[in-house]
Amino acid sequence: MAVPVTVPERPARRVSPWHFVRLKLRVLGNNFRGQTWRVALFVLGLLFGLWFAAVGFFLLAAPGLAGESRYALMIAAFGGGVLTLGWLLLPLVFFGVDETLDPARFALLPLSRRTLVTGLLAAALVSVPALATAITAAGLVVTAGALGGWAAALAGALGVVLGLLVCLAGARAITSAFATMLRSRRVRDLAAVLLAVLAALLGPLQLLVLAAVRQTDWDRLDGVARVVGWTPFGAPWTAGVDVAEGRAGAAVVKLLIAVATLGVLLLWWSRSLESAMVGTASSGPARTPRGVAGGAVAQLFPRAVGWTRRDRFGALVARECRYWWRDARRRANLITVAVVGVFVPLMVNLGGPAFLSEGGAAFEQATADSSPALVSLTMIFVGALASVTLANQFGFDGSSYAANLVAGVPGRVELRARMAAFSIYVVPMLVVIAVALAVVLGRPEWLGVMGGALFAAYGCGLAINAFVSVLGAYSLPESSNPFAMNSGAGFTKGLLTLVSMVGSAVVAVPFVVAAALLGDVWLWLALPVGLAYGGGAALLGAYMAGDTLDHRQPELLAAVTPRR
Amino acid sequence: MTDQHPALSLRGLAKRFDTKVAVAGVDLAVPTGSFYGLLGPNGAGKTTTLSMAVGLLRPDAGEARVLGYDVWADPVRAKSLLGVMPDGVRLFDRLSGAELLAYHGLLRGMDPAVVDQRAAELLDVLALSDAGRTLVVDYSAGMKKKIGLACALLHGPRLLVLDEPFEAVDPVSAALIRDILHRYVGGGGTVIFSSHVMEVVERLCSHVAILAEGRIKQVGTLAEVRGDRSLEDVFVEVVGGRTATGEELSWLSR
Repeated sequence: MAVPVTVPERPARRVSPWHFVRLKLRVLGNNFRGQTWRVALFVLGLLFGLWFAAVGFFLLAAPGLAGESRYALMIAAFGGGVLTLGWLLLPLVFFGVDETLDPARFALLPLSRRTLVTGLLAAALVSVPALATAITAAGLVVTAGALGGWAAALAGALGVVLGLLVCLAGARAITSAFATMLRSRRVRDLAAVLLAVLAALLGPLQLLVLAAVRQTDWDRLDGVARVVGWTPFGAPWTAGVDVAEGRAGAAVVKLLIAVATLGVLLLWWSRSLESAMVGTASSGPARTPRGVAGGAVAQLFPRAVGWTRRDRFGALVARECRYWWRDARRRANLITVAVVGVFVPLMVNLGGPAFLSEGGAAFEQATADSSPALVSLTMIFVGALASVTLANQFGFDGSSYAANLVAGVPGRVELRARMAAFSIYVVPMLVVIAVALAVVLGRPEWLGVMGGALFAAYGCGLAINAFVSVLGAYSLPESSNPFAMNSGAGFTKGLLTLVSMVGSAVVAVPFVVAAALLGDVWLWLALPVGLAYGGGAALLGAYMAGDTLDHRQPELLAAVTPRR
Repeated sequence: MTDQHPALSLRGLAKRFDTKVAVAGVDLAVPTGSFYGLLGPNGAGKTTTLSMAVGLLRPDAGEARVLGYDVWADPVRAKSLLGVMPDGVRLFDRLSGAELLAYHGLLRGMDPAVVDQRAAELLDVLALSDAGRTLVVDYSAGMKKKIGLACALLHGPRLLVLDEPFEAVDPVSAALIRDILHRYVGGGGTVIFSSHVMEVVERLCSHVAILAEGRIKQVGTLAEVRGDRSLEDVFVEVVGGRTATGEELSWLSR
């Protein structure tokens, strides 16, 4: 009766990318089962995505629909370039990557790396952002077709598909590369610098866009567009237009550029995939320094919080401080705040266009453009952005929050301690940002106004995010990738971020009004008023949200515990 | 006043997740000074029951009292008497062992000097001092169980609630944990722990409850539940298992 065990030479059936797509759809479907709010969020996200896709589609299709071939190349190059850049940067800063199919889960299956990478790439196509990008980019096909007939449309479609794949592969490659870097203790500082440089790319781009809008120097822009069209950012998107304009050779070369880019990205991704599959838990016990000085309590408290009392509040602050540095996910958030917080104010206040065209003289004029009100507004953005990091502060802890629950930590102490620990990192950073901006603008007398708006917004943000973190907490995957998100959580995160940032900004708006109306008196009053306003808001927020927290601690724990 | 109350008493605890009933009304009285084993197959509701008993999961119905204090109405008093080691819950594992103990101690409102002294002692006894400043995330599974136990013991609780304390622990560490728990009960403490390993329960416990499908099926002292049979026979009979006949899975043998 016993049948001998047969060892097949090759797997009986090949595993096609289609399997991965089906698996992803199944996982998505199972996530929705019995979770009405998840379905609602997903539908909302889908509608948002479709709306943006429709807008993008008509923008990109406009030259074709209007029969206006003059702008076709420019729109294709810039529109496509922005899409690609967005795919590379936004996952790092705002949304994270959808890790519904965690590569580590496939580690034990007999799959070749090639099968795995193509499969995961195919599965990545099944997502709202990918769908939205595809619809948007279809506008390029319409343009190419309207201007150059079927051949151009075909080349355009090929380019769009390649471009979409480049976007997906690029997002994966960059996030997993950063994840690897942020995990290892030695190169994490290097990673911070690299992230800064990457974000700095936003600067020139913004300058270009502003230049385009204000100067409408079409010829020069056309030149820039041509150059962008030959880079990996623009190559796949402009192929269709090239055919339409009779440059079939150029189109072929561009498609080859796109294919080569895709190849390199996939190679890079599969490399980092391997390390992600092997080192899922941690990078291993790196070092074991012995002979520690001092008792357990002395070890817990980092030097920066040596001033706190050795009690419950102190322990919470000390533990949070350790975590902001030791947890790769939190560290990535801190670094993002630092980078975006430096560059956005500079970009807005230096009024890019003049800067680009005429150098020094215009720089003077640009700084003259800025005003206390504008500076206040950007500082409010920075303050709100910094505090929004705490929007899912309990999600960072995951199930380990149970320890605080078992110990019966009162909600108010919990929230105050978390605010204090985060501020130990962020407040010095904010001060540096304000001083740096004042120096660059050559307006040291604005420092008070800037500081006032900054701390008012930061304090209000802390208060609002205390509520958001208690009421809107969601679980993060227990993955080694600090950018990983559960399926559907990307939209939740975006929505909560938006709500809390708008909320913080609205509460801090009086500071912009005051800066605009009160004139010179405000230069002196702003800082003390802002400190009091922000500090008061934060304390009030911790007081009220702490009460809410006391009533729903078990529910919060359940919300942040990852489902397995 | 606490002495006339059972160390832990559960009355009508119930919990359902969506449509699935996880715990369907559990009554349990754990006498002070007892070593109580909560037995049950996987998915019986052991973790859910213990989570509700210690205040980690809000029950749909019923109440839980620790030495007379209601866990849900008077959590501060109840929790101060409790030491808990949950299962399937991460520790704050980006801390080293000593840091983690200090954190738990201060969170319980203990005096820093006492925390230092007890933490050093616990790390020594549990053979964790050698780990130095290694983060708990880099500990082995057995070491994680031991540091979890140390965290639960640090503030000298009257009642210890342990979820699967012997899961994934090597024999040497298991013996050490058993010794410590024996000493703790000998000194007047009460332990309730969940397990599905019969030998451990038979060797340690004074009282046993068998939980299956969210209900208590058998409860009493070890002798009462076991009778003159082995605990495993009783367990399999109560839970209702099946044994393989040998006909199926024939392709497993060459």
